[in-house]
Amino acid sequence: MNMDEALVRATIPQDLVKVLCVEPRTRYKAEAFTEAFLKNSIKPRSCHNLKSMLTHKAVVLGYARPKKDKGKSKRAKGLNAQQKRAMKVFQIKPEHQRYELFLPLHELWRQYVIDLCNGLKPTCNPQFVQQKLLKADFHGAIITVVRSKCPSYVGATGILVQEFKHIFKIITKEDKLKVIPKRNSVFAVEVNGFVSHIYGSKFEQRASERSAKKFKVRGTIDL
Amino acid sequence: MAGQMKDKDAYQRLNYLYQAAHCVLSQNPENVELARFYCFTQKTIARRLVLRQDPSVKRTLCKKCCSLLVPGVTASTRQRRKSRKARFTVVRCLSCEQSKTLLNDPDHCLWVDRPEAQQKQPGPGPSAKKQQPKDKKPAESASSKPRAAQSRGST
Repeated sequence: MNMDEALVRATIPQDLVKVLCVEPRTRYKAEAFTEAFLKNSIKPRSCHNLKSMLTHKAVVLGYARPKKDKGKSKRAKGLNAQQKRAMKVFQIKPEHQRYELFLPLHELWRQYVIDLCNGLKPTCNPQFVQQKLLKADFHGAIITVVRSKCPSYVGATGILVQEFKHIFKIITKEDKLKVIPKRNSVFAVEVNGFVSHIYGSKFEQRASERSAKKFKVRGTIDL
Repeated sequence: MAGQMKDKDAYQRLNYLYQAAHCVLSQNPENVELARFYCFTQKTIARRLVLRQDPSVKRTLCKKCCSLLVPGVTASTRQRRKSRKARFTVVRCLSCEQSKTLLNDPDHCLWVDRPEAQQKQPGPGPSAKKQQPKDKKPAESASSKPRAAQSRGST
């Protein structure tokens, strides 16, 4: 038994790494993967409530197999709003709301923005950077609420996890998921010394719509 | 020129979202919801700007619930045989049970890779070329995709 366990936990030998084109994962990652794999591959039993089904439901003895309709195609139709709500498609479970899990995402975001702005040197034209950031993606950025009509939002800092039409969902260092409305607030994003402010009232669109929409240069900003 | 640059931004954004979904899943394999959100955003951006995604990207997204299909984590991959010769790779999404069936054909050539696709339409030619470096980048982060390609080629 002990031997088997040791075998399972053994790391991949160096000479095999090249042949198999795999790289060993860190211990934490391997554990997380194994747990998720086991959880996903073991299906919940459907017959565990067999007894209750037998006592509470009429069982049809003369059972004819239902005819298959051939006209129906198997093409995926997507989910409707009701099914989405029932599945909770975009809701992050409370046990996954941990700040350190999102740090690699932030690192990836930094690389993305630097790549987007062609290196982002300190000599860059601020307007050019802002023009790029307008169409960029902000998932993974660390944002801070600078000004807001509601004073309790001011100073909230965290990694932006989800962006909806009227709402930013950020995760703070205290592992809390905070929901901050975009309207009537000003956010600050910091990359490599560049600090750009986002006027939330002008940003009230879905993340996907922003890339296609044109922004008006003029316009009053009141807070 | 300006149109091309704008497209580049959008492709970079799609690339980032795809990588972010992989990053989230590799950090926490059970956080399917967030990865799904990013893929959903990626899909809607591509739809709004009418950008074509590479088949290798499309094959790793669920058509029904938009989640990222990583074999063993969010999808199960099986080999199935329908007739004598034809074998299929069946990828089934574990959260919505939607499955996609891919024919194992080593000689299969995508339309983008074919020579006549490049010659006939000079307009979409550069965009197709741009897509290729784009989907090479996520391949580095996603270890699953080369594996799937290998299985498709070998069987």
